[in-house]
Amino acid sequence: MSHTVLINKKMTLTADGERPLLQVLKENRIFLPSACGGRGACGMCRCKVLSGAGDLKPREILLLSEEEKKEGVRLACQTPVAGDLELELPDEFLSAGQFLTEVVSLRNLTYDIREMTLKLIEPKEIHFKAGQYIQIEVPPYELCDEGVYRAYSISSSPSNKRIVELEIRFVPNGICTTFVHKHIKPGDRITINGPHGRFFLADTDADIVFIAGGSGMAPIKSMLSDMAERGIRRKAVYFFGARSKKDLFLADEMRELEKKLPQFKFIPILSHPQPEDAWEGETGLITDVVDRRIGRVQDPEAYLCGSPGMINACVKVLKKNRIPEDKIYYDRFA
Amino acid sequence: MEHEPDLEKIGKEMKPGTISRDGFLGTDQRSLSEILKGDDEAVRRLGVTHKAIAEKMRKLRNAGMKGLGDFIRVPPHFEALVDSFRGKLPCPFGHPGVIPKINTLVRNLKTQKEITYTDMNIHLIAAHGFYEGKGAPYRLEPDALVEILEIKPEL
Repeated sequence: MSHTVLINKKMTLTADGERPLLQVLKENRIFLPSACGGRGACGMCRCKVLSGAGDLKPREILLLSEEEKKEGVRLACQTPVAGDLELELPDEFLSAGQFLTEVVSLRNLTYDIREMTLKLIEPKEIHFKAGQYIQIEVPPYELCDEGVYRAYSISSSPSNKRIVELEIRFVPNGICTTFVHKHIKPGDRITINGPHGRFFLADTDADIVFIAGGSGMAPIKSMLSDMAERGIRRKAVYFFGARSKKDLFLADEMRELEKKLPQFKFIPILSHPQPEDAWEGETGLITDVVDRRIGRVQDPEAYLCGSPGMINACVKVLKKNRIPEDKIYYDRFA
Repeated sequence: MEHEPDLEKIGKEMKPGTISRDGFLGTDQRSLSEILKGDDEAVRRLGVTHKAIAEKMRKLRNAGMKGLGDFIRVPPHFEALVDSFRGKLPCPFGHPGVIPKINTLVRNLKTQKEITYTDMNIHLIAAHGFYEGKGAPYRLEPDALVEILEIKPEL
């Protein structure tokens, strides 16, 4: 028996049998973020179902907040299409696609962060906003029996629609990071989907504070490259935290961007510089340096990417410096 | 300690590939009920409680957070490093909400011993007295926790 799935009152899909909504959407090339492959573990494939979803499943009861439940939010992987169903999806989900890509280069940026450049094979182009992310589909290999998805921010500029560049930090035993750091080689084919996310520059003239650490560099680099290419001359300061010089990367590229963006200043901060680093730049906690130097910009917007601990601590500092919460945007590794 | 009614069902949730890749039971041949009982007895023998263990773990984790990804000294003689990774996991016992993937490494500078645990470990110990099965990647031995984190007997 077939059922219909009406999306945003304008698009209708047909689904046979009683399969999970996530699968039905994927078959129709609509890609919701999902890290666990549909096991109901990650809780990422949230979507608003207006009618026809039936009762909440046990995993949904656990993973959805009370407010979400009231609003009709469901996990697409746990919601069977067992009858006609009506959905409301953000436009970004409808514009995300699936892409076959080829690994064209791998470059170690530090001892644990690797840059991977993917060339798009089919479709040949991806349209994204600087700051957005894609999901890599990790095929079954020694660390996973079935395909799983992992999200990574795009570090390349949106102007190059045929390339997606990622910066991936190695996590011991991490399914995707081990795949990228230990298994992948140039010429391999990888499937990605996206773009996803709402972390991108607001269309204003406000000054900008960027704050990042580790692989949080990726979306900020994309934003800065985009600004340089589009001639966006907003005043911007970028605080980047690293432990020592061996954790600092792309500093030369940032200096190049300083030349292209006259009102941009890159401030790397080492928390534990080593004697051999001969470091003469800022030292200490990133929060202390941000607190001390935030006065360089006026009424700014802030864009942060990094660990939840770093973001929480920096948000406190920004708020203390009278930057309103609605002007603070972040992509938290969570 | 909170015992959920259907341990058999929860044990299934703990199998590899259900909530996490490696699951929570490792190579342990015991039932979930036996694992819980065994660790509960071990904790009692040590004269401490699951709550006290979890509280010390959380205290060191919260102190380590201030290092923003670097080791930070925590008095009297600990160092803690907290690292975050993308993703969240639900509790296999069925608690509402999700738990972020955050790892804490605590080094006891007096004994030079160290231990790593996750936010999930803290939750599982605090709410369920569960230290994971033997051979699981994030299995914690109660005696190692008590020794390295210097948790004083209270019973």
